[in-house]
Amino acid sequence: MDSKRHGTVDEPFLRDEAVVALPPERESLNGHKPTVMDPGQFHTASEKILAAINKVIDGKAEAAKLALTVLLAQGHLLVEDVPGVGKTLLAKTLARTIDCRVSRIQFTPDLLPSDVTGVSIYNQSSRQFEFRMGAVFANIVIGDEINRASAKTQSALLECMEEHQVTVDGHSYQLGEPFMVVATQNPIEMEGTYPLPEAQRDRFMARISMGYPDKLSEIEMLETHQAASPLAKVTPVVNSADVAAMIATVQQVYVSQSVKEYTVALGRATRDSARLRLGASPRSLLQLLRAAKATAALDGRDFVLPDDVISVAESVLAHRIILDRKAASSGDTPQSIIRAILASLPVSQDTAAERRSS
Amino acid sequence: MSAAIAVAVLGASLSLNGVFRGWVWLVPAVTTVFVVGLTLAVLRALRVHPALTTVGGLLALVCILDFTFFRPESIAGFIPSGPSLDALGRFLERAGETVVSETAPVSPNAGIVFVACAGLGLVAVLIDALAVPLGMPATSGLGLLVVLIFPATIKPQGSGLLGFLAAAVGFMLILGCSQWFAPDSRLQSDNAPGTGQLKRSVVIGGVALVLGLLLPLAIPGFERGTFPVGSRLNPWGVSNGLNPMITLGNSLRNPTSDGSITYATSSTAPVYLRSVTIDKFDGDTWAPDDREATRRIGPGRMAPDYPLPSELVRQLTVVDTGQFSSPYLPVPYAPTAVNGLSGRWSWDPATLSIRGEDTTAKNQQYTVYSALPALTSATLSQDNARPTSISQDFIQLPSNVPDIVKNTAKTVTSGANGNYAKAMAIQDYLRSSQFSYSLQAPVQGGYDGNGMSVLADFLQQKSGYCVHFASAMAVMARLEGIPSRIAVGYAPGHSTGATVAVAGQEPLPEFQVDARDAHAWPELYFEGVGWVAFEPTPSRGVVPPYAAEPAAAGGPSTNLHDENLVPGSSTPPPSTAAVPPLAGPGVGSGTAAGSATVLYVAAAVLLLAVLAASPRLVRSGIRARRLRPARRKQAGPGGASGPSMPRDGPVLAWAELQDLATDYGLPPVPSETPRHFAARLRTSAALGAPVAAAPVAAASPSGTDDDAGARAVASLTADFEQERYGPPPGVRANPSTANSSRANTSTAEANTAAVRIAAVRAAFRRNASWFAVFRADWFPPSLMSRWTQLLWTPFRWLGRICAAAARRAAATVQGLFTAIRWRR
Repeated sequence: MDSKRHGTVDEPFLRDEAVVALPPERESLNGHKPTVMDPGQFHTASEKILAAINKVIDGKAEAAKLALTVLLAQGHLLVEDVPGVGKTLLAKTLARTIDCRVSRIQFTPDLLPSDVTGVSIYNQSSRQFEFRMGAVFANIVIGDEINRASAKTQSALLECMEEHQVTVDGHSYQLGEPFMVVATQNPIEMEGTYPLPEAQRDRFMARISMGYPDKLSEIEMLETHQAASPLAKVTPVVNSADVAAMIATVQQVYVSQSVKEYTVALGRATRDSARLRLGASPRSLLQLLRAAKATAALDGRDFVLPDDVISVAESVLAHRIILDRKAASSGDTPQSIIRAILASLPVSQDTAAERRSS
Repeated sequence: MSAAIAVAVLGASLSLNGVFRGWVWLVPAVTTVFVVGLTLAVLRALRVHPALTTVGGLLALVCILDFTFFRPESIAGFIPSGPSLDALGRFLERAGETVVSETAPVSPNAGIVFVACAGLGLVAVLIDALAVPLGMPATSGLGLLVVLIFPATIKPQGSGLLGFLAAAVGFMLILGCSQWFAPDSRLQSDNAPGTGQLKRSVVIGGVALVLGLLLPLAIPGFERGTFPVGSRLNPWGVSNGLNPMITLGNSLRNPTSDGSITYATSSTAPVYLRSVTIDKFDGDTWAPDDREATRRIGPGRMAPDYPLPSELVRQLTVVDTGQFSSPYLPVPYAPTAVNGLSGRWSWDPATLSIRGEDTTAKNQQYTVYSALPALTSATLSQDNARPTSISQDFIQLPSNVPDIVKNTAKTVTSGANGNYAKAMAIQDYLRSSQFSYSLQAPVQGGYDGNGMSVLADFLQQKSGYCVHFASAMAVMARLEGIPSRIAVGYAPGHSTGATVAVAGQEPLPEFQVDARDAHAWPELYFEGVGWVAFEPTPSRGVVPPYAAEPAAAGGPSTNLHDENLVPGSSTPPPSTAAVPPLAGPGVGSGTAAGSATVLYVAAAVLLLAVLAASPRLVRSGIRARRLRPARRKQAGPGGASGPSMPRDGPVLAWAELQDLATDYGLPPVPSETPRHFAARLRTSAALGAPVAAAPVAAASPSGTDDDAGARAVASLTADFEQERYGPPPGVRANPSTANSSRANTSTAEANTAAVRIAAVRAAFRRNASWFAVFRADWFPPSLMSRWTQLLWTPFRWLGRICAAAARRAAATVQGLFTAIRWRR
């Protein structure tokens, strides 16, 4: 197969060149449940990752934290912004700080699905078909400019994202854990692109936009990034086993009934909103709660607060809801509508005990 | 459900017994309510739209009413038609007459029973609509109350225990059914009713009971029956004059009326003021005969159509009617001229009653010249002949005079010779100690009113009031051949002590009469003398000297010299006991009234003080209860209930913090998370200088008292979050240690919560203005808002119902318009 026709699947971070067998550590991860970290360890690990990212990207602590949240919540991240604000840099830095397999796919219109997933080729010497893994076989997959690929190729990736496995020629190949896709999308350049349809965007846990850095950060960026690529300085601070343990810790975070009720109420409010054509799906609520759990864990808690839900709601829900035409023309954005819903949605604070007391 | 409603409505309707005479009304009422209830139940079982169910119930009501009352006139027996509508009009008219002319118990004629059945059926539909589609079963009590109010206001003895109990049982059934069949999710508690719930319900029930027992003592007027005060709520005033006989009893039972007549007279004794006479004794109800044909306009000069003796005692009386309202003018008998009236008045030569043609007696000041034959027993006893110079109207009796009346008349007058002697015999008989004066006995015995059957009852029971005595004497006199009529008006009343100067006269002593003095007395005609008033009612009025026999003079005529002519004050014991409302203003109760006033004032002051302090007391009570160390129940058998028990300590402390913040002007916002709320508290100026939102765990123990408040808020928030959103103790990794440590720290925890709340409160107080502190202490907004909310709840419901109805009506109208437009 000719993978270098127009699109490029370069794997600069892919250390494991052998593509025949699955890496041994991946098998071990799949084999038994990773141990849960204690809060102290979790805190140090997360602090280290964030510090490493913030060293490279100036003034984007929130975006970095959200990226880490998505990673720990086993979701996928869509970074959408104008060119040149560091989308790819964020993705690469996150991947670099973790000692794991990372691959990068530069999406182009003629990229084929098999370039992503892998292909079986006939081995003359052994006289049988061998599976050559595509770029998706990694722990962190960076999909650059995903909207430039054809719908066919996009959906190949999206299937992997959803199912964590690749099926080629009737064989299913499990993807490693952790597995995260960080896709970037450029909203400005629309010529010859295939923007992700709403249904596909739903697969991404969160969408963030980087935004321009503030004045001081920008000056500092000019200063530090002049000489060499900042990425070169980044060294992995945790390994994939650590990340798996962190993910397991996040899964252990307790969600109380009232937080679940609040989340559901939020979802229903988006569906009932007159300004929205499409509200939040049940899957999005599940992902919202998972992101909230990761946020709570990053905050050092073993239970979720409504605050956690609120803090991630905008990033998790904004790219899934569709505005009513009237609302869109009146200048509302999905973000502003979610903010309005959050501001009007009561956080139930009265418990049975309190009702009895008053 | 519908059955429960039917039971409740029927139970409430049981109390209507006594409003109607007999039980005839019960059968149609039961049929109506039963059919309506059945229809509703069937429609609901068929899952018809709720609004249609109600409409169906109404239709069923119309059909069953039609079937019961207008069967011959309607189509197929139950569908209303034109003639049945006419019949409906007649029925309503008849019911209206009954309502106006009769007092309870009324005869159960078709009209009034029809109205009652329709009302009960409507109430059943209304209750059903309230309880089922609108989901407010508790408010259906209002519908039952509507049924209960009628007997309570109409019957002097109130609704009656039986009806009340039946209605209460029905109400309970409605509540129970609504809970069984349509459980209200808001009322579902997740835990089984514990002892606390029982305790609370006992406390609520106790408070309600105590209030129910104490309130009637504090509010004057509750004296008998369920709501006896209702029997005195006469919204039509003292008398509407339509039938003086009817309103007389009500006026007597209604001593609180404010209308009073003052008059000054030149007569040596206080005079009776006569409004009208009643002389036709046939029919169920005796009413005045106005004799429209012979009435004459202008009472400036009046002369009777019967001969008067030459020697007359002339009197002058000045009357001011004040608020008294009646078509008939109260004047002393026998008027020869009335001056000073405004409006058009006419008079009847036969009875000398004066009636307003286009006006009433309200606010009239007038002078009456009256002339009365000088009467002595000697002059009266001369006349023994059957009178000839008088209309036969005054001697006629209906054919249905009960035997007991005839027999009594015969027995009483057997020894008497001559008309005067006979009259005296009847009067003496009625004034004898066999008869007692009672306003309540006729009502309770069911013979309140007038008519021949009432008279028979009265002669049997030997207890009644002036109407009964007067009509008994009048009828018996006619039986003995003496023309008679019943005069209705006012007994002399009492002296005000003032005098009125009238031109050309000496100052005249002034008297005052009010509703208590409403009276009826018989007038008998003696040939050559004219109409002579008698006084057969014991303990009332003044026995005229000509009618007082030497033997009887000692007793009743003492009233003449009694300075205070309020009846009942110097009367035989039985009547005093029987008329408690009248005994109030007696002479002997002066000191008691004084001390009672002092008591009332003291109670009022105390009540005011408690009211003023109550928000503060309640607020501190709530705070103390929230911060009290939680009495933790021991884990049940096997420790199963231990982990599931909610730890409400931090939750209660949090509630207190919220209320505290509300009191000091920082109410929580519903969409705020606990963390946001706490952050707002800490960054606002209410807790002192805004401090950096320090992490909960890292709150350093340094700083001022304001810091202490902020720290307390932070730790309270943390506790609440842990409690509210944290994993339950059982889910934790090491539940055993968590449980044991919790049990040990439960008291300490409550204490720290109390300390923290105290710290927050101190910080609030330090940084708030004196007004805010005062308000938080005495009128805590957290409490007041809750109370106002509670107060407005019924109105909110009402508003919501009205809004819904208006919306529905608007939709219907719009739909109609659309249909019409479409048709075109």
